[in-house]
Amino acid sequence: MGLIQRVVEEHGIATIGVSIVRKFSEEVRPPRTVFVKWPYGHPLGEPGHVNQHRAVLENAFDLLETASEPGIIRDLPYKWKRETYG
Amino acid sequence: MFSYLLDTHGSIKFPNQGKIRENNKNNFNFRGTAAMAGVGRLKNRLIAALFTRFPSLGTKAAQKVETMAFDATPFTRMSKPLSEANLALITTAGVHLRQDTPFDMSDPDGDPTFRVINSGARVDELMITHDYYDHTDADRDINIVFPIERLRELVSGKRIGRLAPRFYGFMGHIQGRHIKSLVDTYAARVVAMLKEDGVDVALFTPG
Repeated sequence: MGLIQRVVEEHGIATIGVSIVRKFSEEVRPPRTVFVKWPYGHPLGEPGHVNQHRAVLENAFDLLETASEPGIIRDLPYKWKRETYG
Repeated sequence: MFSYLLDTHGSIKFPNQGKIRENNKNNFNFRGTAAMAGVGRLKNRLIAALFTRFPSLGTKAAQKVETMAFDATPFTRMSKPLSEANLALITTAGVHLRQDTPFDMSDPDGDPTFRVINSGARVDELMITHDYYDHTDADRDINIVFPIERLRELVSGKRIGRLAPRFYGFMGHIQGRHIKSLVDTYAARVVAMLKEDGVDVALFTPG
């Protein structure tokens, strides 16, 4: 994922990625990343949990709008199945 | 999720992106053999299900996977607020339209091609072909890997300006000989289509 993200960014399109494997993001160094320590196959969260999906997207868009340097990985604080989302 | 894995190194050059570091860790074998493709696919699915059940095992396995490492990162500033921007969604979760050709799961190095998904597609028109992560939950609600409905809601709520007509589905777990074509051919092709559609920002989601 990060490889494609780098190519898109390099061609003048701002990108943001959601990561579930921090090591891959640390090594591939995509332009902007929000990381969730959640099981594979669940980057936005659990099925049907709309507010959880929105929380991840809002964090992603916040980083997209505010990042002033490349390569930021922002760790989101959400614990798997232990959070309440607005 | 197992995108950008690499068996061999050194042949890919990225202009203006710094030098590629090599990581010589043991390669984690997550693949079946070609001769045992059916058994291999079953094995991959079982391992993927295990990683969902016990995430720490998945994290441990990922530590042993070779990735490409870079010293520098490209950067493009946002040219306009998100509320005025044209956004495209790109996933490596193996999502595609049901009517489209599934990704090739018999090649242990993965399928580097992509599928175009119209951003107005209904979720019941979409499916996932990917043996390397457990998509049982995503099959119930595809938004957890491909948040197409959430993005449409954010356009209605004026948080995002508009959605590009075309979104893109790749599969992760691209290895070895396919890395170069993924980057040089298929990612480059997507860039050209994003430009055609006047896309300002791209959101990436893994499997």
